[in-house]
Amino acid sequence: MATLELDSVTKTFQDGDDEIVAVDDVSMDIADSEFLVVVGPSGCGKSTMLRMVAGLETITSGTVSLDGRVINDVKSQERDIAMVFQSYALYPHMTVRENMSFGLEESTDLPDEEISEMVTDTAELLGIPSLLDRKPGELSGGQQQRVALGRAIVRDPEVFLMDEPLSNLDAKLRAQMRTELQRLQEDLEVTTMYVTHDQTEAMTMGDRIAILNDGELQQVATPLECYHEPTNRFVAGFLGEPSMNFFETDLADGTLTGGGFEYPLSEGTLADLGDATGLVLGIRPEAVEIREEASAPSDFEATVDVVEPMGDENIVYLQFGDGESLVATTSGFDRVGAGDSVVARIPEGAIHVFDRASGEALHNRTVEADAPEP
Amino acid sequence: MSDARTGGNTTSRADRLVRAAEKLTVERVLLYVVLLGMASFYLIPIESGLVTSIKTSTAVIETVPFAPPGPSGFTLQKWQQAVDALLFGMGNSMLYAVPATILSAFIGSITAYGLTMPTWKQAYKAPLIALIVAGIFIPYQAVLVPLTQFWAQYVQLGQLLGPLWALGISNDYAGIIELVVTHVAYGIPICTLLFRTYYKTMSKEMIESARLEGATLRRVYRRIVFPLSGPMFAVVLIYQFTQIWNDLLFTLVLVSTESSPAAPVVLILAGLGTSLEGQDFALRMAGAFLAALPTLAVYIFFGDEFAEGVAA
Repeated sequence: MATLELDSVTKTFQDGDDEIVAVDDVSMDIADSEFLVVVGPSGCGKSTMLRMVAGLETITSGTVSLDGRVINDVKSQERDIAMVFQSYALYPHMTVRENMSFGLEESTDLPDEEISEMVTDTAELLGIPSLLDRKPGELSGGQQQRVALGRAIVRDPEVFLMDEPLSNLDAKLRAQMRTELQRLQEDLEVTTMYVTHDQTEAMTMGDRIAILNDGELQQVATPLECYHEPTNRFVAGFLGEPSMNFFETDLADGTLTGGGFEYPLSEGTLADLGDATGLVLGIRPEAVEIREEASAPSDFEATVDVVEPMGDENIVYLQFGDGESLVATTSGFDRVGAGDSVVARIPEGAIHVFDRASGEALHNRTVEADAPEP
Repeated sequence: MSDARTGGNTTSRADRLVRAAEKLTVERVLLYVVLLGMASFYLIPIESGLVTSIKTSTAVIETVPFAPPGPSGFTLQKWQQAVDALLFGMGNSMLYAVPATILSAFIGSITAYGLTMPTWKQAYKAPLIALIVAGIFIPYQAVLVPLTQFWAQYVQLGQLLGPLWALGISNDYAGIIELVVTHVAYGIPICTLLFRTYYKTMSKEMIESARLEGATLRRVYRRIVFPLSGPMFAVVLIYQFTQIWNDLLFTLVLVSTESSPAAPVVLILAGLGTSLEGQDFALRMAGAFLAALPTLAVYIFFGDEFAEGVAA
């Protein structure tokens, strides 16, 4: 078990005469036995970062250290790191047993019986002892996934690296494996770095999540912190489905104007904003309340454009007079139909305010109770 | 009752015939005619060769080439003669064709692995690959003179292997060793290219995974890449074996005389059945088929894997 530290890690690729920065000055610490999920849109450099930790890519500058020891120049086969790939990368000519023994045979001097015993134990832990004598080609996707996992677990490495390991599974199996993977990681207490583009995986699995965009680290925090207290507009928009509503506004006389409405701010909120005037107002769809009549200055008249019933909730697309739109989620029992005129209340306690130029969050919603530890 | 059943069967058979005939359009008939024509176009030379090889000399003169011999014109004597004349030469051919095939395939595989898998700078890799690819396009004829000079002046195997000849082996066998080395050298470029194409399709993540699991480059080759190269080995072995077995040019230059004890089958075959009195076509045909048997055997032996390798 170990702590993993990334210190201003940068990776640039040479493309002809151009230099492409894939990972830009990323620093973060992953505590012993922590489960850190790295999430971001495709091409944000998250996989490159993982591959640098694995030693599969060279590090252009900065250091990666394991338990305080810099491992930049340590070859991947000497790093004691196990990685689970998106494609599983099983060896097709070997049985499951041989696949799982391979790492132990190559990296340790253990006698054959001991290796065989460890493989059997791990297979039992994952519920695949009956598959040990089969070849990967004879297994389903979910079973292959388990073997890939088993191959990493059996080595008992210092760190697990996982590169979108669940993305090739169907939705139901993915949900099941998500829980199982989490349980396993908790039992084994191995420091884990998990890369995904799926925000559900990020929100549900990680002790903390690191959000990456364009090679730059946006925020590292617990999932709920990232959700309720995003450091910038990117994080706010990336997490949550449907994503946060944004309105470009200007601040004048304590009122946000723009997008066809005026939104008065209280003293408390204004204090957070300093002297910035070009602002973006953000509100999560679930914070928008739909009412029949306007009764407060934060109520706005709107027309229902489209309703997407999801069963437990409705996703309601609202249209303001001048064409700005707003997405709200309401209870599945609310009867709103397309074309209805309604009032959307944007409660001040739930708004986020971002600086328009830098995207930085100036004011985040107030969360009543402290976010519970996951 | 039995009559009724038979009657029923005939009607259904007739029905089927009628239905089949209805499907026969003019286009379809034309297609079959063309296909049959093409098949016979390709098969007639082989068929003619085969029937010629079992004819007596008189039958060869009296019958058309593709007609089978009559009972009086049939003989297996030419085959017997061909076996007597060629068997030793086939042994000699095996002596260099088998090692040269295996060595060139193996070296090609390792070279391709080195050029594909490890991550080294494209700036160094690209010129090396270009050189190897260029090697494929050097015609045999262009190297004949330097090749003979090399073996005659710079590396005189005949003298270097003195102790071997003292054991009673004819020193003409130096030519066989020269053939092995020459064919390996000449085969490496194409083998490397074929294996490289194959390795480029191999999962990169699988190799990386093996590296992360603690395997060195050499171990990755031995335990992962080599066992998975089967189909491409089949392709390369078949290709190289046929190429080397059938090559006449290098054998002419390096062994040269068909009377040598080390003469390979191609050399003997070239002179088989030719004399001042004329050509013994039956013997030449029997010899040609006999000499082709090992390549045929290799095709059959590696056929399944060959198909898989070509598809990849």
